[in-house]
Amino acid sequence: MSEQSITRQNPGSAPPARSSRFKINWDYLGLAPFFLFAICFLLLPSASIFVRSFTGTDGSFTFDNITAIFQGRDFINAYKTSLSVSVITAVGGGIFGFLLAYAVILGGLPRWARSFMLTFSGVASNFAGVPLAFAFIATMGNAGLVTQMIESIFNVDLRAAGFSIYTIWGLSIVYMYFQFPLMVLIMAPALDGLRKEWKEACENLGGTEIHYWRYIALPILMPTLLGTMILLFGNAFGAYATAYAFSGSFINLVSIVIGAQIQGDVLYNPGLGNALALGMILIMSVTMIGYIAMGRRAARWQR
Amino acid sequence: MAFLDIINVSKTFGKTTAVKDFNLQISKGELVSFLGPSGCGKTTTLRMVAGFEIPTEGTVVIDGEDVTNKPPNQRPVGMVFQAYALFPNMTVADNIGFGMKIAKKPQEEIDQRVDEMLDLIHMPGFGPRYPHQLSGGQQQRVALARALALRPEVLLLDEPLSALDAKIRVSLRAEIRAIQQKLAITAIYVTHDQEEALSISDRVVVMNAGYMEQVGPPFEIYNFPKTEFVAQFVGTLNGAKVEVIDPAARIVKMDGQNIQIAQNLDDTHSGDIINIAIRPERITLATEGMKTNVLDVKIDTITFLGSIVRIQVVLGEYSFFLDTFNNPYLELPKIGDIVKITFTDEAVLLPSGGKRN
Repeated sequence: MSEQSITRQNPGSAPPARSSRFKINWDYLGLAPFFLFAICFLLLPSASIFVRSFTGTDGSFTFDNITAIFQGRDFINAYKTSLSVSVITAVGGGIFGFLLAYAVILGGLPRWARSFMLTFSGVASNFAGVPLAFAFIATMGNAGLVTQMIESIFNVDLRAAGFSIYTIWGLSIVYMYFQFPLMVLIMAPALDGLRKEWKEACENLGGTEIHYWRYIALPILMPTLLGTMILLFGNAFGAYATAYAFSGSFINLVSIVIGAQIQGDVLYNPGLGNALALGMILIMSVTMIGYIAMGRRAARWQR
Repeated sequence: MAFLDIINVSKTFGKTTAVKDFNLQISKGELVSFLGPSGCGKTTTLRMVAGFEIPTEGTVVIDGEDVTNKPPNQRPVGMVFQAYALFPNMTVADNIGFGMKIAKKPQEEIDQRVDEMLDLIHMPGFGPRYPHQLSGGQQQRVALARALALRPEVLLLDEPLSALDAKIRVSLRAEIRAIQQKLAITAIYVTHDQEEALSISDRVVVMNAGYMEQVGPPFEIYNFPKTEFVAQFVGTLNGAKVEVIDPAARIVKMDGQNIQIAQNLDDTHSGDIINIAIRPERITLATEGMKTNVLDVKIDTITFLGSIVRIQVVLGEYSFFLDTFNNPYLELPKIGDIVKITFTDEAVLLPSGGKRN
């Protein structure tokens, strides 16, 4: 039976006439600090980047900064490297973080293990920048503790064998250190929200564990999974301090190239730096649009 | 032979015994309710029939087949959960057709069954909606349709109405009963609501602390409780301790006033103290000329409950309720009045079988 409501109008009491056509909704006043923050630290810097991307060294309008990106291989490679690291750590961190969150929440671990893992994840997800880079250099760098121990105990020279942590994969592992726990932190409540009865209902209707994950659990988690992976992507794509402290300019990330163009002694070209930053904004925008489209599809049952 | 046979089933969780020596035979098409307070083992027993718990001891047999160790997805059982448990990411139609989809039935057959089920629950046209677009009552009806879509041999309902408001509960329980009877499906209905159990069931199993207290038709459970727990748990009951005066004449005394009872007091002696119980609706305000079991009491409170008026009276150290049907011209005594109440000798129950305390 459809539940319909019938609105009746009382002819004797017409609604009061509006005093003016436009009425200010003061409820939005509470959002003023947010809008102010967004304007000062998001919109204005973005607008500034946009304007300066098209400004030459003499202050005139130019496309030179944009075309310069496509002229040299270095800049395109920098984008490729940044995208590779971001995709590897978003997907890798997403999958392994999800599995770890699954083990912690649904793996039947004792309560203390769960609390320990979540607390550790909270700390580890914020462990980035110079301390994180130094931790990896000190342990797995060329003269790192672990590298030296392997050499002295097993008599294996990792450097001679071609191992180096200062590669895209090495940087990805470093990023994983905070990507992984961030995924755990976000997925844990989502996994907690999966109701035991859904699984039991699935089993009762003849389904197996695979059916449950395929038709019920994963579709329910998909909006959160996609959202978190895009967050991981952005987290890695914009990272600068960790990569710079870890490899200097050895690994050619866009963020490091921008840093060199804006504050470098040799490569100083702020216009080009702004153009590269504009490219990053565009890539993030396209990714966000893709995420919104996928997220809307994945979450259509919530509307 | 019983269609569903639960034989000597026990279940322990660590050192806690949830169900002990549960024995029940249910005929085909019968609806049996498990009634009891929280933690009495009723849901655990239901879950053992569904396959979500494996009995520590005993066997579960459905239609001659021992299913004790079979996983839930291999049992011919449909279940309705307390909080609906509809899959939120699927439409009503997808929820109802889920079991058939898993069973790889042709889409045409699934669609046909879904329509049939939607008609059964009086919700045609609701197929494309998502669960969050339905009311609680509608969601539970869809859950019922989903459980029935695979045509299970046994339907299990785990407190299906407890999350709904009172009016919906009453209408939906009648609907559940009608559907169960229409399909002639064997069903177990778990509830802690005595009114629900009494109104819907062919038989009621009253459970307490993991044990079956009494099994019987609702009329028998209510009117002839075999244990003190059943007497107290099912319905409202006035209880009192009385002194046996003459076991042969079946006379006891309460607060200096004699009470004639119908039940046998052969196991007792003069001077013994025993428990008696009387349902509120069996006590009335006495009129002139009545002689048996007429007691002087003081009116303590009067509570209007809609269809009935509940009067609380005080007799010595005991407080009794008596219920009388409401009518607009009812003349009620005033609080503090001394009045006479009366009840028949058959109205006096001996919940502990007349045993001494």
